[in-house]
Amino acid sequence: MKRTLLASCLALLMLSCYHRESEPFVGDVKFDGTGYRPVYKNPEDVSKVEVQAAQSLRTPGKIYTFDRYLFINELGKGIHIIDNTDPKKPENLSFVSILGNYDIAVKDNWLYADSFSNLLVIDIADPKAPKVTKSIPNVIPVHNYPPLFGVYFECVDDKKGIVVDWEKVDMEKQPKCYR
Amino acid sequence: MKKLIPLLFLGLAAVGLMLLLNACNGDKADSGPSPQTGTGGSMARFAIAENTLYIVSKQSLEVYDINDGGNPTKAVTKNLGVGIETIFPYQKHLFIGAADGMYIYNNTTPNAPELMSKYTHVLSCDPVVVQGRYAYVTLRAGVNCRAGGLFSSLDVVDIGDPTKPQMVNSQRMDSPYGLGVSGNKLFVCEGDKGFRVMDITDPKVPVQKHFFQEVPSYDVIVGNNQLIITGKEGLYQYKYDDSDSIEYLSKIPVL
Repeated sequence: MKRTLLASCLALLMLSCYHRESEPFVGDVKFDGTGYRPVYKNPEDVSKVEVQAAQSLRTPGKIYTFDRYLFINELGKGIHIIDNTDPKKPENLSFVSILGNYDIAVKDNWLYADSFSNLLVIDIADPKAPKVTKSIPNVIPVHNYPPLFGVYFECVDDKKGIVVDWEKVDMEKQPKCYR
Repeated sequence: MKKLIPLLFLGLAAVGLMLLLNACNGDKADSGPSPQTGTGGSMARFAIAENTLYIVSKQSLEVYDINDGGNPTKAVTKNLGVGIETIFPYQKHLFIGAADGMYIYNNTTPNAPELMSKYTHVLSCDPVVVQGRYAYVTLRAGVNCRAGGLFSSLDVVDIGDPTKPQMVNSQRMDSPYGLGVSGNKLFVCEGDKGFRVMDITDPKVPVQKHFFQEVPSYDVIVGNNQLIITGKEGLYQYKYDDSDSIEYLSKIPVL
């Protein structure tokens, strides 16, 4: 009797061990078959800044006013420059395409903008024709994880490029990284 | 949009008091003589004070000297080590909204800010604006802001002594993002829920005057009795006056 009890206990113990090994449990949330995968881009493509014709707003972010101008961030995409001389009829002048841009500030004729970890200096003496005059690398520490908590994700491989986004995908195996 | 012109007539005494208060706050402290800088919203991670550019990253405050505007040079990095959300310069102080509280830095030497104090609260997302001796902080609960906070609120913090910030009022909010303050008005962006206009004739006790549920809002810039509001449906502009009326000026829609 004693022996059966011991045997079953042992079996149970082994079962629980086996169970744990088959499903590694990293975070406090169980892996549900989905995870986040980094979207990479070439550093050269990322640093391309273009002044384009006015575009309509899609996902507007932060705003900044300077003189009679209004700057509207397009989340992760760039900056709309608006002539706001008459607030009843704001005039959309141009769009500065900057990947990884969320923030802006202006002093005199200089517009400062982030582009992932870089700080761009843009001459806006002529707001219709802004010119990037400088790009300072590694100003803003960037973290290699998705902007969420309690998620599994594919670890970032710097050799593949710069992470510009995260996409949620089905994953067969539980990825190594968790946050 | 017609809904946005509701009038709330206050007693003459109240109007008189507001005019008086507005007169005191009429001049903006940041329009100094030398460098010309612009104005950002309360959700900003970039801020300029005089000839210094401040950038808050997730964990640190990066300080850049921009005396030579075309050539920013790094002055110092201050590590805070927690999730930093926003920065708001006001007079000789920097107010930094982080996930665990509001940090107050002394900014007398702009290139070398010094930590004075910290107002701690539940984990949440929390932009801050300041006027006079009061700071207004919104705390938003939710997954992307850490699930620490159970509910969202608007806190009023007495910063009369910046080394000892003290909460004097707190009220429930829905899902507050940016906010703006000017004269006797406080504006709170409630995300998809709308946009609140509050009276702060008594600066310790914001009292709601309007709640525009049809204006989804993320951040706001207030100046010269004018509001610029950004939200998921576009950019709205309004004019307001001391009689509590709000006039729609324009909208740049999201297409």
